Amino acid sequence: MRGSAEQRKWVLATTAPALLFLLVIAYLPIAYAVSLSFFKKTAFNPTMKWVGLANYQFIFEEPELWNAFWRSVVFTLGAVGLQLVWGLVSALLLNRAFKGLNQVRSLFVLPYLLPSIVVALVFQWLLSQEYGVVNQVLMQTGVVTRPINFFGGLGTAMWAVIGMAGWQYGSFATLLILARLQSINPKLYEAAAVSGAGTLRAFRDVTLPNLRTTLIVIALLRGIWMFNKFDSIWLVTHGGPLKATETLPLYAYRLAFEEFDFGLAAAACTVMFLVLLVGAVIYFKLFDPTKEIEVGR
Amino acid sequence: MFIGRRTFVKGAAVSAAAAVAPQVLVRTARGADKSKVLFVSEESNPKAIAVYDKINADFKKETGIEVTMEYPGFANIAKRVATLIATGTPPEIVWYGAGQAMNLAIENQLADVGDVLKATGGTAENLRMIYKGADRSIPTSQQFTYGWYRKDLYDAKKLAAPKSWDDYLKAAKALNDPPNMYGCIIPSAETGASTLLLETMFMKNDVHWFEWNAGKKEYEVSLDKGNQKKRAVETLDYLNELHKNSPEASTYNWGELMSTYFTEKAASSYYVGSRLLDQTIANNPKIADATVPFELPKKVTDAYYLSIQGFHILEKSNVEGAKKYVTFFVKHPDVISWYHAVPLHIIPASREMLHSGKYQDNPVIQKRMDVLKFLDYIWTKGVPLYYWDGKELNPYIGLYHNENLAGWMLAMRNIKGMKSDAIVDEAAAQVRKKMKRVS
Repeated sequence: MRGSAEQRKWVLATTAPALLFLLVIAYLPIAYAVSLSFFKKTAFNPTMKWVGLANYQFIFEEPELWNAFWRSVVFTLGAVGLQLVWGLVSALLLNRAFKGLNQVRSLFVLPYLLPSIVVALVFQWLLSQEYGVVNQVLMQTGVVTRPINFFGGLGTAMWAVIGMAGWQYGSFATLLILARLQSINPKLYEAAAVSGAGTLRAFRDVTLPNLRTTLIVIALLRGIWMFNKFDSIWLVTHGGPLKATETLPLYAYRLAFEEFDFGLAAAACTVMFLVLLVGAVIYFKLFDPTKEIEVGR
Repeated sequence: MFIGRRTFVKGAAVSAAAAVAPQVLVRTARGADKSKVLFVSEESNPKAIAVYDKINADFKKETGIEVTMEYPGFANIAKRVATLIATGTPPEIVWYGAGQAMNLAIENQLADVGDVLKATGGTAENLRMIYKGADRSIPTSQQFTYGWYRKDLYDAKKLAAPKSWDDYLKAAKALNDPPNMYGCIIPSAETGASTLLLETMFMKNDVHWFEWNAGKKEYEVSLDKGNQKKRAVETLDYLNELHKNSPEASTYNWGELMSTYFTEKAASSYYVGSRLLDQTIANNPKIADATVPFELPKKVTDAYYLSIQGFHILEKSNVEGAKKYVTFFVKHPDVISWYHAVPLHIIPASREMLHSGKYQDNPVIQKRMDVLKFLDYIWTKGVPLYYWDGKELNPYIGLYHNENLAGWMLAMRNIKGMKSDAIVDEAAAQVRKKMKRVS
């Protein structure tokens, strides 16, 4: 009993700093943001006026919130899908033995290590309508007759942004999938071969089931990170053209720092937070992490 | 060693107090400290910074007041000021556009500076910003939105500087040779560059977003009414025709307005002030001499979108110290070097200074007296947006201007292909909705 009480104290003492840190860095700002959503508060006046649910009513009546939400879904699904495909293909290629393997593996990690601003500038240059390499090649090979305005075109901007995010963050998926691939028991492949399974069949029956947990984890983590992604999109399109790439974080930013309405921005952020919370709860209900880890083994 | 619950709670409380205390102390100290002035300036050109440093040192010698500078830059200054206000430590002085400062005025954050204006010789009527019966701005400089064109290219096609809307369209068509050269630049995006173009062209066609209701003594949206709507539609359709001779350019910002021009991709462009010339001289001097200003052509009026920059002093700060500093700055002999930091771009608020030998004693100005004469010619035609719709300061302009609604209108017309009358209706509806929320 005494030991148990002392153990509790020990647990409290060792976890308290981390909890305090979390409280100050994460929970207090979240609580402040949620409380702010019930006030009218502009950027140029420190006073706050209680407005109840009026901020929520305003943004829910605005089609802009729903449009931004839908664009967030498109961006998240597109970027995560691309990252999974890119990660899977590159991990399968890197899971083979060849000369210079370590160097090639290092190169594949590089995009993930680059700051977003560097990636944004590179893509702006590559895809520029006026001086971009991609347009130059497309024009020279006769694929197009006029340069394409990738980041500025209504029909192309979202795909260009998705492509950029897919390239940059695909390496994360590569790393995780490669690590999992290397832990699959080779005897499983031998057994599949003995049963007459070819490469594709072995991939379907051995590789994919073993990757299931990893793919789900990547989809969840990258899904959350992409849904919240601000910098990559902001740096290349500022949410344009005509809000074609304005996702929920950019919408909230616009409300706060262009319309200077912190109350509305806080309401938009709270909505975003709730969406992610619901997504996370559904995930944990559908895919119990403990079981998934068991299955993954 | 174990930490008891009580010890832990005590420790946490002390930590929290330690975290909060500096904030409280800063807030208390700032209001009381008459020996310090925090000055946030939009102008961050190295030459301008050198002048600030010199004047600030002289000011400290004379008064003992220390001036601390912050240069958040054009894009971030409003956010920086908002942060300082929100944390209870408003800066004493903000130097930026009076249009942006109006947001502070209507939130009752700006001090009455009528006494400073009087002490420094006053200012032109069209540069004053009066709110609740008091001056809220000490104008130092101004910029007009006007065009720049390649005289060599125009001459080669025997074209003169455009004087009318038809001239401008004709010249743009004649010089358009995409993708090597475009006749003009009509940025069509939700950016400040697009917004100022349409707002200026609206002025040229006498389009007003608001009208003054004398009975109610307040402004009401008029953009979608009668002649206003007719002229707004006409302006959008005209810019749509021009846009056919422009890069599609739906991500255009201020930088691109200049770079597209000085990389010889466009025969004409426009800017707020002469920074475009400054950048052309720096990046492509061979076309600098052929870079000539022109009035964005009139349809109904000669009015110019006028940006006014000046000092703004915040209430709840060291107001007396700030007033002393601004008076000292404006009267300081080195202030002329500050105007020369970007010659012909930072235009003095005083016409007398523009005409003075001291101001004109600069190699760039001497070389480009044509630009100075042009500025002198359009001097009285500038109108700040908040006085465009009437004699009373219009507090609602932020509802469309801050959000680049005019840029949105251009983009909807030129990029999305929406009909102009539907765009005008939608824009007016958006402003009305926001007015309702503000009220």
